[in-house]
Amino acid sequence: MKMPYRIALVRIFMFAAGLALVLAAHLGAQGFGNQGRGAVQNPATRAPRAAAPKDLTGYWESIVTEYWRYRMVIPDKGDYVIVPLNAEGRKVADAWDPAKDKAEGNECKAYGAAAIMQVPGRLHIYWQDDTTLRIDTDSGTQTRLLHFGGSAPANRTPEWQGYSAASWEGFRPDSQRAGGGGPIRDVSVGGATGAVGRGPREVGGETSGYLKVVTTQMRPGYLRKNGVPYGANATMEENFDRFTDPYSSETWLVVTTVVTDPQYLMEPSITHAHFKKIPEGSGWDPTPCRADEAR
Amino acid sequence: MRFRKSGLKTKGLYFLLLLFLVFPARSLWAQVDLTGEWSPRIYNDGRDVGDYTGIPLSEAGRLRAESFHPEQFDLPENICRPHSFDIGLRVAPAQLYISPELDSATQQIVDYHFHAYWSDFRVWMDGRPHPPEYAAHKFSGFSTGKWEGNTLVFTTDHLKEGFITRVGAPLSPKATVTTRVTRFGNYLTMVFIINDPAYLTEPYIRESSWVYDPQQVIPAFPCEPSPEGTIIPAGSVPSFLPGKNDILSDFAKEYGIPPEAALGGAETTHPDYLKKMKTMKTLPRTTTKHFERQG
Repeated sequence: MKMPYRIALVRIFMFAAGLALVLAAHLGAQGFGNQGRGAVQNPATRAPRAAAPKDLTGYWESIVTEYWRYRMVIPDKGDYVIVPLNAEGRKVADAWDPAKDKAEGNECKAYGAAAIMQVPGRLHIYWQDDTTLRIDTDSGTQTRLLHFGGSAPANRTPEWQGYSAASWEGFRPDSQRAGGGGPIRDVSVGGATGAVGRGPREVGGETSGYLKVVTTQMRPGYLRKNGVPYGANATMEENFDRFTDPYSSETWLVVTTVVTDPQYLMEPSITHAHFKKIPEGSGWDPTPCRADEAR
Repeated sequence: MRFRKSGLKTKGLYFLLLLFLVFPARSLWAQVDLTGEWSPRIYNDGRDVGDYTGIPLSEAGRLRAESFHPEQFDLPENICRPHSFDIGLRVAPAQLYISPELDSATQQIVDYHFHAYWSDFRVWMDGRPHPPEYAAHKFSGFSTGKWEGNTLVFTTDHLKEGFITRVGAPLSPKATVTTRVTRFGNYLTMVFIINDPAYLTEPYIRESSWVYDPQQVIPAFPCEPSPEGTIIPAGSVPSFLPGKNDILSDFAKEYGIPPEAALGGAETTHPDYLKKMKTMKTLPRTTTKHFERQG
């Protein structure tokens, strides 16, 4: 009944090869070889602050390279070019009256969560606690609180900055499936033979993942300074990503914002804003909400 | 007997291997599938001649921009001239189709093919080097990419002289563009960072987004000069000599923007420029309904 020597050798070899592949899968999944700290463990098992795949904290200055004429000056009444406003939205925008907003104490209408990233200014991002990322803006002196692991409490009074639920996303292809779309190749353990096949690996100093923020319960406000409205049922999804330009070595924060508003928009409105990292506190210039100025 | 014991040990190790398989493990790769049809959600911002707002133009860049005449696009040689890839992806409607090309033997991704209505290029993923500087420059340039986490990052050089706007802001053959492609669920966002030592004093950063749209059909784009010729007489190249552009200030007058600010430059992109603008004079406005012609 002795096992032939060659068969034993083959079995041992096959086992060693299989074990190596499986170990590679697990170690790879745990972020070994990554330089970033965030990819080390599944963020679900760690506090959001410790699990941050990218450090978004610090001071950031908006650099207005696009839609300058809608951001650095107050657009003319009726200029809602590139905003997918519906008829009701146009009607409201055409009735914009900044003097009335000022008189009624509504000067912060254009500084709400759905618009604040478009207002030229600076951000100070820091952890208020282990589960709350805080964004202070010098323009309009607003504060946004990004709550990890929570959901909007019911019957909460709407506020300019609404309630923001935050999560780290993009750690694994599974998370991309949530949005539907095209097929996602998911080469997990079951497909470990793919380890020698196609596909990019994490390279360079950047790590996987980005910050996703979903904001609800916003007080109705303006998407633009000239009264382009969003309503009480508007929701907003934002994705924050940070990277370094290899040529200039400058560090950037890019925010992609998708506002969905069944009341005033024909389809979701997508905007972008980018911010350059600046030295701590540099240029910080708090200003109140102003209905008649760009910031 | 020795081999029988060894067989038991092997079975034990197989059991261990099974445990590894049963335990949840994440993907070996942080790969996100970008392939498929993407519908643009960047809305053409309809810049006018003289609108260089937010562009960090150098003096040389501004001189080139000011010499541009919109009828240059009507020259027979320019009728079918492709856009450089960056602006080609931003001119509405820039429907986009992304497909990978696989090496049939190794199943490695050799390149990603970006096909847009106005633009077409490949991003080489196989580690090939960029060609030497003297190699041919093309409107599509030469691009090599890598993955940084879930973001495809590619660098493009060997670009032909072109434009970064449709109103004459120039792009030199020395430019290098870094593009970051990130999929957020059903949204695809690209960040373009243009470094151009000839015409820009700072990196010019801007973004575009698309929505996954598997039903999209990109129409054909046949282009050939009209057999009847164009409206431009043969041998004539419309342009403005330095200081002779008599339509340059039209944009500033229509929008009520200080003419100096309308000419762009890195300084104009910062929030503090708003203070400086308050001290600048504007020209008498010719209209406040400029937006109506943009539809």
